[in-house]
Amino acid sequence: MSESTNPKKKEEKDEEVRIGVYTCYCGGNISDAVDCEHVKKVMTDLPNVVVSRTDMSMCSDAGQALIEKDIKEKGINRVIVGACAPSLHEQTFRGTVARAGLNPYLYHHVGLREQDSWVSHGDYRGATCKALNLMTAGVAKTRLLAPLEPIRLEAEKHALVIGGGVAGLRTALDTARRGIQVTLIEKSPFLGGRMAQLGKVFPTDEDACATLDKLIQKVASHPKVTIFTQAEVTGVSGYVGDYQIKILQQSRGINNDIAEAVLDADMPKVPDAFNYGLTERKVIYKAYPGCYPPTPAVDWAHYNGEPIIVNGQPTIFYNKPKNFDLKVGAIVVATGFKPYEPRAGEYGYKELPEVVTLPQLIRYLELDKTTRTLTWAGRAVNDIALIHCVGSRDTEGVHEPQADGQVNNYCSRVCCTATLHMANELRERFPDTNIYDFYEDIRTYGRGHETYYQKALEGMVRFLRYRGIERPEVVAAPEGDTHPVLVRAKDSLSQGEEMEVAADLVVLAVGMMPTQVDELVQMLKISRGVDRFLAEVHPKLRPVETAVNGVILAGTAQGPMTIQESVAAASAAAVKVAVLLGQGEVQLDPFVAYVDPEKCDGNGACIEVCKYEDAIKMETVTINGKDVKRAVVTPANCAGCGGCVSACPNRAIDIQGWTLDQYDAMVDAIALDLWDLMEVPA
Amino acid sequence: MAENKKHKPKILILATISGGYAGADSVGQLHTDYPTNTYILPVLCPCIFPEEFYLRCFEQGIDAILVMYSGTDSPYKGGPERTAVMINQTYPLMKERGIDTRRLRLAAICTVCTKPFLKEVTQMDTLLKGIGFVRDEMTIPEAVQ
Repeated sequence: MSESTNPKKKEEKDEEVRIGVYTCYCGGNISDAVDCEHVKKVMTDLPNVVVSRTDMSMCSDAGQALIEKDIKEKGINRVIVGACAPSLHEQTFRGTVARAGLNPYLYHHVGLREQDSWVSHGDYRGATCKALNLMTAGVAKTRLLAPLEPIRLEAEKHALVIGGGVAGLRTALDTARRGIQVTLIEKSPFLGGRMAQLGKVFPTDEDACATLDKLIQKVASHPKVTIFTQAEVTGVSGYVGDYQIKILQQSRGINNDIAEAVLDADMPKVPDAFNYGLTERKVIYKAYPGCYPPTPAVDWAHYNGEPIIVNGQPTIFYNKPKNFDLKVGAIVVATGFKPYEPRAGEYGYKELPEVVTLPQLIRYLELDKTTRTLTWAGRAVNDIALIHCVGSRDTEGVHEPQADGQVNNYCSRVCCTATLHMANELRERFPDTNIYDFYEDIRTYGRGHETYYQKALEGMVRFLRYRGIERPEVVAAPEGDTHPVLVRAKDSLSQGEEMEVAADLVVLAVGMMPTQVDELVQMLKISRGVDRFLAEVHPKLRPVETAVNGVILAGTAQGPMTIQESVAAASAAAVKVAVLLGQGEVQLDPFVAYVDPEKCDGNGACIEVCKYEDAIKMETVTINGKDVKRAVVTPANCAGCGGCVSACPNRAIDIQGWTLDQYDAMVDAIALDLWDLMEVPA
Repeated sequence: MAENKKHKPKILILATISGGYAGADSVGQLHTDYPTNTYILPVLCPCIFPEEFYLRCFEQGIDAILVMYSGTDSPYKGGPERTAVMINQTYPLMKERGIDTRRLRLAAICTVCTKPFLKEVTQMDTLLKGIGFVRDEMTIPEAVQ
């Protein structure tokens, strides 16, 4: 579509508006709070309404078939459904009416669930009356709907994957295998993400790095994949099919010819974040043996710019960041998670050296895989206490908030099995240790996960169950005690008996936290859930999709997941990318400005306020034999904000599908006092 | 207009699809109640509305309008600024008509701004309990008479 004209002109002038109104029970989600039958009855009497129905589930096959049947048999040419949020099912019902031969934009959706029934408990009359107004407003708009055609644009068959962990890698590979060019960027110097920090992983007990290395090799050798490490997004513009991305990449700082020698050189050391600060590493480093890329990288945050002697030569390393642009059709966000960092003093963390997190213990055991004697802080470990739900399932007002004031009320899901996996590993490697597992609930929900619980029971791991509001207490043992730490808890398995366990090591099973990606979230205009992880539109209906067309999620960026689940989500993301870009064309909603040349007097107010280049321009047209100036919209350049609409003194310009006349009609309907139509019991 | 005891002042919420409307959906997902005299209409960007639109709403009997825009999160260039301009230009016109300017309020609401959403709705509902129906305070400006 090169030019937009008044959609009303597309209508057949004599066409009678025949509206079908459908009010969904949503399986009781709406009908428990709203008298849907009464809504149906009132809608029947509205002008142009030919049929008004209810259904237990309009989105079901049967519900949709009902609409299709009415379109075909009753000549319905406008459809309105009152149901759940439009973000969930507007597209579904547009598809329904399209299948029945109707223009999909002759459909209107009213959100009766999230914005009425779910927020109006105990006010049946009020909720029903509100539904009447909202549906009446919907009918008023529907009456003014005009058929529209989506804007079709060429799409870049190129996807950007942000994040080089297992989810990003899997997405990149699966997308590339579908013939789509992939650029994968990773903020750190090495690929692998959090998975590279693990040892054996459930449910197969395979070595994490070995599994990851195979995947990395496939990704790195795929001709359609380009990898940039130490790179991050600094700017995003455009839309699905045509995103313009600005990337900033830091220098690696090391030439291959000195790659090996530089690792042997003397240089300053810093705490090694890969090992959660348990060890130190040099400022020029490799994350772990066998990491990819194999070339060491300079840690620019800690390198002080002083010369380092390499091969006998003093050498200074320089960071020369480079900026470059990419054009991609879709963006996959695979930015992962970070483990919860307990605050100082939480279960004795950072105050007692014998208190560590589970990720720290995993790294500690990985550093020496062969040892059969467990020591910590210089002493042999005979008694180990594992504590679940640290930084998970907290309750606001009950549990102390984190440093940022947040309270993680969600379950991180993965930590129960990870803790039991660790208990079994400890039992196998250090058979003489006593292992105590303090838990609130055991949630081994995944296939094969329960096996770890059974094995731990058989392995004489001793379970103590605490209540969420009475969590265990970790304190230093009195001087001269046989152990350095005491863990106290009321054990509900022993009818609330106060238990005290003397331990040499306390392991905190910390939950998962969202990665700090505030700037990226703002650039992409994507949403977060109340848990602060990135939000998909709907877990069942539109998984891994965000509300921004062309921006897709993969892995733990959207919530706690096992590796298995992350990889599954990543594969799903790849399929979404392939569906979007595979045809080389994308369709955009045609909600852009259009001009009524009969009302336009060429005053140019619309152009003055428009912030989009070449979206509106003034052209000379001939009307009644006279050459006059008129505003003309280029739909591909128009974002549909409507700034021009409020600027026009003649109402000559409007937004297709969201016109001011439609808003006026909806407002009139909302202003109606429909209380007298209420016949429902109070 | 004589007060109808069953009728409550009506709050129209113009909420951006990328912000306030999704925020309202988040409130729904939390099953948190708020008054039923609230009616949310989705908008791409409220900069579409000229001053006359708001005045017309009041004339039709809408007692308060909450414009829940996306603020700095708006996907539309210049949209938030223009929205603010239009609303600021509406206030003197409301005064001319004797309409309490507190009946029109602009608030930035994001997709997960559940508490700010509830706060805005509750505050406006409380205000309306005090100042009542818009029709009871509206006057026709001399220029229009």
